[in-house]
Parts: sequence; structure tokens; C-alpha cells
Amino acid sequence: MISIVRKFIHLPRFIIGALLLLAGSCSRIDHKQSALDPKGLVAQNQYDIFMLSVWITIFLFCAVGGCLLYVLWRYRAKTAEEAKEVPSQSHGNSMVETGLIIVSAIILVILAVPTLQGIVLLNRVPDANDAESLEKLGLDRSQIDGAITVNVTGKRFFWVFEYPQYGIVTANELVFPASKAVRINLRTEDVIHSFWVPKLAGKMDLMPGQENFMWFIADQQKIMGESDAATSMPAVHDGSMRAKVFAKQKFTDEFEPVGGLFYGQCAEFCGNSHAYMSFRALAQTDEDFDSWVKRFQNAQNPNLQTKSYDPQSSYPKGSLVSFADPKLGSGANREFRSIRPTSPGQSPQLNPGAWEKAHSDDYEQGKQLFASLQCVQCHAVNRTGLGAKGPNLTLYGLRTSLAAGWMRNDEESLSKWLKNSNEIKFGNLMWNGEGVDDRHPLRNLENDDEKVNQLIAYLLGQS
Amino acid sequence: MATESIKYLAPDADNKAKTQVFPRPGQHTTGLVDWLTTIDHKKIGLMYGLTALFFLIIGGIEALLIRSQLWDHNMAVLTNREYNQMFTMHGTTMVFLVIMPLSAAFFNFIMPLQIGARDVAFPRMNALSLWCFVGGGIILNLSWFFTGGSPAIGWFGYAPLTDTRFAEVIGDMGPDFWIFSLQILGVASLLASFNFITTIINMRAPGMTMMRLPVFTWMTLIVSFLIILAFPAITIALVELMFDRTYGTNFYDFLEGGKPHLWQHLFWIFGHPEVYILILPAMGIVSEVIPVFSRKPLFGYGLIVFSGAIIGFMGFAVWSHHMFTTGMGVVATSAFAMLTMLIAIPTGVKIFNWIGTMWGGRIRFDTPMLFALGFITMFMIGGFTGIMHSSVPIDAQHQDSYFVVAHFHYVLIGGALFGLFCGFYFWLPKLTGRMMSEKVGKFVFTLMFLGFNLTFFPMHYLGMIGQPRRTHTYNEGHGFETWNQIATVGAFILGVGIAIGVLQFINSFFNKKLKPAGKNPWDARTLEWTLSSPVKEYNFARTPIIKARDQAWENNYGPKENHSEKEPLDDHGVHMPDRSWWPLITALGLLGLAIGMLFHRTIDPSGELVRDYTYPIIAGAVAILGMIMWALEGPGGYHLFPKEDEE
Repeated sequence: MISIVRKFIHLPRFIIGALLLLAGSCSRIDHKQSALDPKGLVAQNQYDIFMLSVWITIFLFCAVGGCLLYVLWRYRAKTAEEAKEVPSQSHGNSMVETGLIIVSAIILVILAVPTLQGIVLLNRVPDANDAESLEKLGLDRSQIDGAITVNVTGKRFFWVFEYPQYGIVTANELVFPASKAVRINLRTEDVIHSFWVPKLAGKMDLMPGQENFMWFIADQQKIMGESDAATSMPAVHDGSMRAKVFAKQKFTDEFEPVGGLFYGQCAEFCGNSHAYMSFRALAQTDEDFDSWVKRFQNAQNPNLQTKSYDPQSSYPKGSLVSFADPKLGSGANREFRSIRPTSPGQSPQLNPGAWEKAHSDDYEQGKQLFASLQCVQCHAVNRTGLGAKGPNLTLYGLRTSLAAGWMRNDEESLSKWLKNSNEIKFGNLMWNGEGVDDRHPLRNLENDDEKVNQLIAYLLGQS
Repeated sequence: MATESIKYLAPDADNKAKTQVFPRPGQHTTGLVDWLTTIDHKKIGLMYGLTALFFLIIGGIEALLIRSQLWDHNMAVLTNREYNQMFTMHGTTMVFLVIMPLSAAFFNFIMPLQIGARDVAFPRMNALSLWCFVGGGIILNLSWFFTGGSPAIGWFGYAPLTDTRFAEVIGDMGPDFWIFSLQILGVASLLASFNFITTIINMRAPGMTMMRLPVFTWMTLIVSFLIILAFPAITIALVELMFDRTYGTNFYDFLEGGKPHLWQHLFWIFGHPEVYILILPAMGIVSEVIPVFSRKPLFGYGLIVFSGAIIGFMGFAVWSHHMFTTGMGVVATSAFAMLTMLIAIPTGVKIFNWIGTMWGGRIRFDTPMLFALGFITMFMIGGFTGIMHSSVPIDAQHQDSYFVVAHFHYVLIGGALFGLFCGFYFWLPKLTGRMMSEKVGKFVFTLMFLGFNLTFFPMHYLGMIGQPRRTHTYNEGHGFETWNQIATVGAFILGVGIAIGVLQFINSFFNKKLKPAGKNPWDARTLEWTLSSPVKEYNFARTPIIKARDQAWENNYGPKENHSEKEPLDDHGVHMPDRSWWPLITALGLLGLAIGMLFHRTIDPSGELVRDYTYPIIAGAVAILGMIMWALEGPGGYHLFPKEDEE
């Protein structure tokens, strides 16, 4: 009891402290997903109109609210006698009423004009041939001409990003060139979702049976701030983005030190795990984006996939082949890389000096498990078109996040995820059958650290 | 309410009563049978109000669970499915089982008194409306106990998430309960609305011209028209959804050529007028309260009535502003944005006129007036954020974020609920005949005002920094925690405030120590304040002849020629209609029909789907029988001869 009283003695200090804390927290508007910190043309336009409306409504609130306060003060009944007086029973004043209607209409027009302009802007990419409006928007023709297209498909509860110009597919992390406009075609395979990256653009729904469109363009100047491109937009293709995000930032850090990393979220209720359906958008310099596309194209090119060793062929240095390795299990193949050129018939078995193991044992074991535990049924690695039910895992080791942007993509989270994904993201399709079916292929992973580590080695080895 | 009276009986009335299989309860019935068979608009209004207050507590508990789950990131108070069920049930309960029936309670109780009528036009239909509402509430909340639990589809039930294809629990029955509950609640609302419209058009006292109607009655009329025009849209949508789910049709199944957009259009062409159905009654209440506590007539009566009608009319032309982000194209989006901005004008007019009413008055700050002032300021904030949402580029960021949650709670709590509480503090003395404690009332207002703003103001900011709606949790590192914690604390303060308020209302029915109210405790202006508190069962001993707009005020302060007169009582006295069992039985039949339809499907041991319509057919027959007997029974009735001063 006394301690409570004592606390109350400190109340003023406590209140001041709390207010300072609040003010400090409120003055920060550059949170990860903040629409108050626009980093692109469309979001900036939406922010500007929002601020216009804020000032208009603050003005109106002060005017009308001030008027109300004045009336309440001026005409309050001060005494009990006064409360019984009968004031003049006036019924209205048409001049005043009409005047106020006209004033409100004028104020609305101030908001209506930028609204109409904004509707056109968010629905249509500016015409590259219309030099005048490009200049007004501060855009360069090349930014529109070089626009990339991304087909976004929403699924419960993750995102598929397809780049039709490049023939590649990825999931949950949208890589895009910071200098170019990005056209987004929105589709869904199941229920309604909504694509929202607050710092780049407002949202647009993914409607079943219909294709929606939106676009955005990042503002390189704003992303970079005072630092250079390498700091603010580290390359994705060589893993420096992942390294930078992991090094500089604990997952719990409130404010994002990497400017080129944007957070997005599904904004339409889509079922059990709607909250977990987030994603990321990674801005890249033109060169880094091109390199990333190249790596992806190579990884997903069916002609460049590792083939089985052919005794009739000779292989130049650095070739990859797959060759049966009984140590991994019956019928299992291991990938070998040639250290020097080989002539026909010199298989890894016959000429071990010419070949080296391309990956660690764990990786190869993990690869076997990926097939035998039926992961391939849902996840495609490298080749597109197979296993479309789950996220495509090509070059998975370059990703910064796991479970549709919900966790950091490191060994620890991945191990938790593989052991029991349902515990992290209830309702996801990778459920291990707990409580229903003990024969489920993932059922026994929970107690099998070895297998989990092998899978992790394989998955994070995809880089 | 017993009165010394002579019972007038038709010569063969006694014989009739004996020959009936299901005897009609008589005039002096008491206890449970009295409440179950009553057709008195005051008792029905009271039951409407109490049931709605009960659901307010249920919906409030759901809200507090939601707020507890959002206290911190990755909380585990509720699982994600439970959370989704909570916000679905919270939304549906608050809209259909709290705000609408609370408004209906006031319509029922106050409107006939304000126009000088002895009851509504169809008293038994009124009872059916009440029992349908209770039945709908029961069906919705029964869903907790069956396969899949309550619906987890949101109060808006967007297709195709409601499709069985996307059910997240095998054999999920939640959405079915939701569909049938809303259908039955729709019947309740439609019956009540037709009744109120007929009453207001036909049963006004002599001299009560349309432009002398109190504003609350005007809003009753407008809201009733909105209901009968808006509910058919959702009825159709729900029937189609029911067919999709039960019989495998494809209205909303995009894989078979259905269109999820169709649901959204049908839902919002109902849903937007619904917003005005929720707020216009509160505006009507506030328009009654402010003149009373300023001791001045309403400023610009005609304009307030007209703007109410305009809001109602335009409410049907702005529904697609809920769908700005669904890809309707530039033209439709622009048109709906402009129309939505226009609707701000008649809304603004009301606020100007309320301030104009206070101008030059003698303002008293009793509890009803505090709630009315709270209504004006909170509704202003909600209205301003509404104007922001009419601008599509702003809406693109706000849609489905906490900013929208803040916006509509400012309109529906700060607006509708504050307005309804204002009505309770204003009119309960008329109901109970006792004044409530001003001290407690002001304490409740303070708690509610503080708690409400603490809960919902931070949500504007939360929405702007990117917290999406309808998410059961949020990730760490977004900076959402502090503000969610403030909101949760506020929600509990608001909850305590509402709970104390509700207890105070209930207390005033039973606590004999409270000060008696007398006829006109607030020195109010409209006709109901010329009657005794509580009001006698026949309302008016002599039908008043109306001479002016604010009749009670004119009788006290107006010139002699404005004083109301009384029609003499003719030989028949006051004709009172008899009680009836049939509304209750018809409603039970409908309830049984819905429950029968919910459970008519079973899977037999061979895995075959079996449909058994026995129970729905029996229940449907009961409902139809109820209606037939109702028609055959006739109005019946007895006559009272109250003395002139007995009112």
C-alpha cells in the first residue's frame, strides 16, 4: 500500500517521463512499414494529398471546434436562475446556413482536384512520349522506357513474383531496379489478397478471376540519403544484401538501416494466417539487378541444370555432373565439379583426382531428403514449373527472410520452421500432421536434428 | 400501469375465448406470459433495449479479448483462428445486435409518444420483429458450439473466403450460422421499418403535420426507408451465398465463372446505407437533446431534416468507396470519390446547425448534454477522417489499416454509441419515472470519453505507420507496441465506463430511492414530455390536437393559441389491442426453420451426403400456422376509459 502511495508521489515525474517517451516515439515516422516516410513517386503523391487533407481538417476542426467552445463558454447558464431563463426562440438564419454550405463545397474542391490527379497517377504509368508531364513528375524518359513488369500471384499465405521479361520466378522477396518504374500485375489463385508496400505505393487488391494493375517507382535519392549505393542498396546476387541486413540489424531493431529494403504486407483478410502474409521488396542498382536476373536465369534454365555423368563425353574444367554415390544411399547421386579437363570415361569413380565434390555431405544428404520427404511436391528449386504449391526456393540462400517475411532467414529460424512450421505459422500448408497422422513425412523431423541440419545445409546452400 | 377502467366486451367475447384452442392472454396477465405475449410498444422497446445491452456486453468482451491479444507482438492470448472469429463476431454483434436494435428500442419507445399515437400501426408485427431479433442473436451466438466454431470470415464476409472450398476447418459451419442469423435479423429490421413508416405516415395526432414532427421521428422515418431499401440487397447476397455453400451453385465461385466482385457490390450497396442506418438515429437523438439543454428551438429545423433525407438518399450512391482498391478503374473510382465528398456537405450542415442551436441559448451541462457534446466532437473527427478516405490516393494507403479502424470507431462509438447513451440518460426517466444520479452519469461520461479517445486516437498513427487490420498479431520491430498498449488500456477504461453506465440504467428500474422524475424533468420540448413518467399503457388519455412544433415547450412558454388541445373521448373510450401468442410462435417457427436448415445435411456411414428436410418443413409449417392463426385471431381488444388527467 505504502509503495503505491509512494509511486503516486512520483506521479508528476512519471507523467512527464511518459509524455517525453511518447513524443519521442511519435516524432519517429520512418518505421519499417510507415506510409509517412514515402520513398517513391506514387507513395509521395499519396502522402502529399494526405498531408493536404490533414491541414484542411485541422483547420476545420480548430474553426468549428473553437466556435463550439466559444458558444459553450459564452452561453453557459452560470446560475440556477439563469438556467430557467427563456432566451429568444430563433429558428435559424438562411443566410448563415447557405453561406456555410458554399464554404464547405469550396473546401472540398481544394481536395477534389489533387484527388482526381492522384487517381490517374496511381492507375496509369505516365506516357514516355509525354515529355511535359514527365518533367512535372520529375521523371526521366529512360525510367519509363526501361520499366520492368512483375506478375504477382497471391496464395495463402505467401507471394509469387514472376518476371515475364526475364522468364524467372521467385517468392516473397521482390527484387527490383531502383531507377526504373515497376509495373505490377496482380492475380490470385485463391481468395482476395492485397499488395501493400507503404513506402512505395498504396495498396491494390488481388481479385480472383480478374487481373489488377498498379505501379511504383522508387526514388533513388531518397533511398540513398547521404550514403552511397553500396551501403544503402547492397547487391542481392552476391549475398551482400543478406550479409548487410544480418550484420547491421537484429531482427528486433525498430529502424531499418538498409535503405533499399522495403516491408510489405497482405492487407486484405485472407484466412487463418493473414497476419503472417508479409513480404519484402529489395531495391537494387541497375547493374546489381542485371546480375541478379542473370544468376536467376541460369539457375532456372533447364539447359543449364546439372546432368548425369556421360562416359562418352569429355568435360572441360569446372563442369558439374551428377554421379551415383552409394555412400549417400542406394541410387543417390552426388554433384561433382571437374578440377581439370577430362577425357571420355574418366568418371569421378575412375579418376578421383580430376573431380572434387561440389558440395558438402550435409548438402547432398539434404538434397536427398528434400526429395524423399516430398518437399519437391510443393517447392521448386531452380527449375520452374515444378512444385508450384509452395514458394519457389531458387537461390534461397540469398533471401533475407523466411516464412513470407515473418522471420530472419538463418539456421536457427529455419530449424524451427522445419521442425514444426505450424507452431510458427498456424494454417500454413507445410503442416506436419501433428495429432492427426504420424506417418506424415515431416512428422519425425521434430526430433531429428541431423536431418534438419542437412536440409538447412541444402537450402541455405542455394546461393 | 394498472388503470381503473371499465372493461368493454363485445357480447360474444366470452364465448369466443372459451372456444379457442390456444386461449389469448387477457388484459391483466402478469409475469413471464405478460412479457412473452405483450404487444405494447413500450414493453417491446424495453426488451429490445435490454437484449441489445446484453449483446453490448458480449461484443464488448470480444473487443477486450481482441485488445488483449494486441497488447504486444506475438502474444498468445488467442490463436489466429480464435482472433479471426472474435473480430467477426465483434463486428457482426455490434452492428446487427447492438447499435441497430438500440436504435430500434428508441424508435419503438419514443416515436409513438412523439407523434401522439397510442401504439404503432401493427402492434403484433412489432412483437414478431422483437422475437426475430432475439432469434437472430441466438443463432449467431450458437455458432460457438458447433463444427468450426464461430465464423472467421469478417463481418463483411468477402467472397470467396466464405466458399466451402476455402474453409479452414473441415465442415466449418460458422458462415452458415452467420448467413441464417443475418437473414432472420433482416426480417426483424424489415418488419420494424414497415411498421414505423406506416405509423408515422398514418397515426400522427391531429395537427401534427410532417414539418412539426420532432427530428428524432424524422430520422426514424428516414432510417426505416433506408432499411427497407438496403436490406433486400444483402438478403439476395446471402441467399446466393447460402446456395453456393449448401447446394453448390456458383454465384461467387470464380473458378466456375462466378464473380467475387458481385458480393462486394451487393454487400456494400447494403453496407453503406447501413452506416447511415447506424448513425442517423443518434443524430436524431442529439437533435432532440441539444435544443432542450440550450432552451432554444433547433436552428434550421428544415435544413436538418432535409440534410438527413439527402444523407439517406446519397447513402445509396457511394457504396463503392469501400472498394477503391479492388480495381474498378479510373472512371468509377473518380465518380464514387466525388460523390463521397459531396455527402460531407449535408453532414457538415448538421454540425453547424447544432452549434447554431446553442448560440444565444442558456446551456446546461447535464449528462445527456455532455454525451451530445461528446457526440459532436467525436463525430467531427470521424467525419474528417471520412473525408480523407473519400480521396482515393489517401485511401490507397489507409484502406484496411488501423487508420480505418480508428475512423469508423469514431463514427460508431464516438458517434452512434455516444448518441444512444445520450438517449438513455435523456429518456430513461420517462421510462422508469426516476431520475438517475448526475454524479454517476458524469463519471461514466468521463470514463467513456477518456477511454474511447485513448483507445482509438493512437490507431490513426498506427495505421499510418503500417499496421494492417484484421491481423491477429504483428511482428516485432515495427514500432507498433507502445501505441497498441495505450489503446488496450484505453479499451479497458472504456469497457468499465460502459459497464457502469449499463448498471446504472438497470439500477434505475429497480432502485426506489431515486428521485421521481415527474412529467418533464428536463423542461424539454417535445410531446412525450406532456405525459406522466412512467407512461401509462394507453399513452394519451385524450388524443392531443397539436398546434406547434415543440408542443411541450409551447404549452409551458408559448402564446395561448399555441397550446395543445385534447380530443374528447368517444363512447368506445381508448381501444386497446389484445395480447397474442402468435408473434412469438411465428418467430419460433422461423428460428426452427433456420436451425433445421443448418443441420439438414448429414453424411451417412457410406460417406453419402444425405439431406433430410423433415425438421425445416415442420418448423416452416409452425411459422406459417402462426401467421394463419394470427390472421384468424383478429386484433381483438378491450376499451379503457381513463380520466382526462390520467396521463
